[in-house]
Amino acid sequence: MALDDKKFNDYLDLCDPAYHYAITAYSPEIRKEMTWLEHDKAGMQGLFANLPKHNSDHSPLSRHVTVYTVKPSDDGSEAHVISALQVFRTTLDGGTTELFAVGKIHDRVTLAGGMPKLLSRNVRLETRMLGFGYHIPF
Amino acid sequence: MSRNSAEWKERPHFPNSHFVSTEIYTDEQIFKEEQEKIFNKCWIIACHESELTGAYDYRTFHHPGGAPLIVIRGEDMKVRSFYNICPHRGNTLLYDPVGNAKRITCIFHAWSFNAKGDCIDISRAKQGYQDRYGCENAGLREVKTEIGYGGFVWVNVDDDSSSLRDYVGDSMSLLDENLSDPLEVFHYHKAVVNTNYKLWHDTNSEFYHDYMHYFNRITGMIQPGYFDRKYTGYPNGHASVGSMSIKYDAYEGGKQRGVGWPGLAPGGWVLVDMFPGMTYNLRTSVLRMDTAIPMGPNKLVIEFRGLAPKSDTPEQRAERVRDHNQIWGPFGRNLHEDLLGVHGQGLAMRDRTDSKWVLHGREENMTIHDEGGMRHFYAEWSKRMGRMAYDPMAVVDLPSGAVAAPLAA
Repeated sequence: MALDDKKFNDYLDLCDPAYHYAITAYSPEIRKEMTWLEHDKAGMQGLFANLPKHNSDHSPLSRHVTVYTVKPSDDGSEAHVISALQVFRTTLDGGTTELFAVGKIHDRVTLAGGMPKLLSRNVRLETRMLGFGYHIPF
Repeated sequence: MSRNSAEWKERPHFPNSHFVSTEIYTDEQIFKEEQEKIFNKCWIIACHESELTGAYDYRTFHHPGGAPLIVIRGEDMKVRSFYNICPHRGNTLLYDPVGNAKRITCIFHAWSFNAKGDCIDISRAKQGYQDRYGCENAGLREVKTEIGYGGFVWVNVDDDSSSLRDYVGDSMSLLDENLSDPLEVFHYHKAVVNTNYKLWHDTNSEFYHDYMHYFNRITGMIQPGYFDRKYTGYPNGHASVGSMSIKYDAYEGGKQRGVGWPGLAPGGWVLVDMFPGMTYNLRTSVLRMDTAIPMGPNKLVIEFRGLAPKSDTPEQRAERVRDHNQIWGPFGRNLHEDLLGVHGQGLAMRDRTDSKWVLHGREENMTIHDEGGMRHFYAEWSKRMGRMAYDPMAVVDLPSGAVAAPLAA
């Protein structure tokens, strides 16, 4: 929700200092795993900070996430969460909503500090055709 | 001062080579002629050899002239291409974009073909055709195929075309030293944009649009040497742009590229535009290849490939992938902006929007903000089409090079 609302600092507050973010996909065309975006927390901060300086599509996104599984580690300090992801884009002119992308999210969450924090997130996309693309990560 | 309707439509006060009519981007008949006179006559990149490493590996390709193709490596390791059309009832032979097929069998009636395009089996042939028709009559339609210039697989559906070497000429000379090591594709994605293919190639042929890219303004445009880069035109509509040093650490969160590229100066950048819609873009540590596949006058598929030396260590490859993604990935800083630009042109130039002209009038001694790269392209376009890009509905018989003089080599 923080990303949907473009409240990037709120989003980063949910992330551990060791946060690692990636968007990955498999290409059947070249038969290879691909990484489309990869950042640590500082990299994500830089990406968000530079957004106003770029020309971007301003259509808002709605990220719809359904939690499939939550698997705590043996010592209870972490959890591995797998969720389904659907991303919808709504045009500013007229408000048409279209499905933009589908995939799964693989999260590692630390439970150590009293409040859960994201240690890593891998947005694993099924969709590989994103039209003219987007500047803000899913 | 704003302009009224007549003033808006008035022919620009430039030489005819320095502007084009937007009809060349929107007219259905012109598009069909482009398929016939340009795409079905030119060498086109279908894929990269690293996508077909083993015997019988294949890749399908939608040729911009219209024909669906199979590109397949034979048992003899030679790469050949064929129409992906069964000669029996016109069915698609191979449905997946990639695979391995020692025997290509049509799912419809089980006619089979080998990787040399020979028909090797017609089910119940004798019963149905007796001696009137057999495998000898049913081979696949082969398309000329050559591998070169970085290991790309080039195809030409014109049986009477010149060789790939003659078509490319000297246009790849700037990249000679950079493409001698074996390469492999590490990134592939497609984008569909409602725009004309020439507008995408135009974007790859002019650097004036660096104003659109904050990243380029900071890392390149305000750096010394930026305006020293020059366009060079070559026969057949190809053009190249020389190198400069990019200062990547000028972008907040950016850092200078460490991994480099064989034969390229640190931070270097070389670009070669191949007529009619392919671009080699070697930027410091990554080679990007764009292949434009038009589906109509206002619908374009672009294939994007990222390539790296095959000899990379895992660490080098990871660094190259990060370099690629920062500016050219689907979430990269520049690619989204470039695609938004041509998407906007497609919106503004749709039929009946009263869009009229596109200007190519900048002259800066063929340096980076000169629009000579586009003028060079449209000189070739006009020659091949028999239409003048500034007045395409007036059909004329143009002698070679009549619209605009080729750029100085």
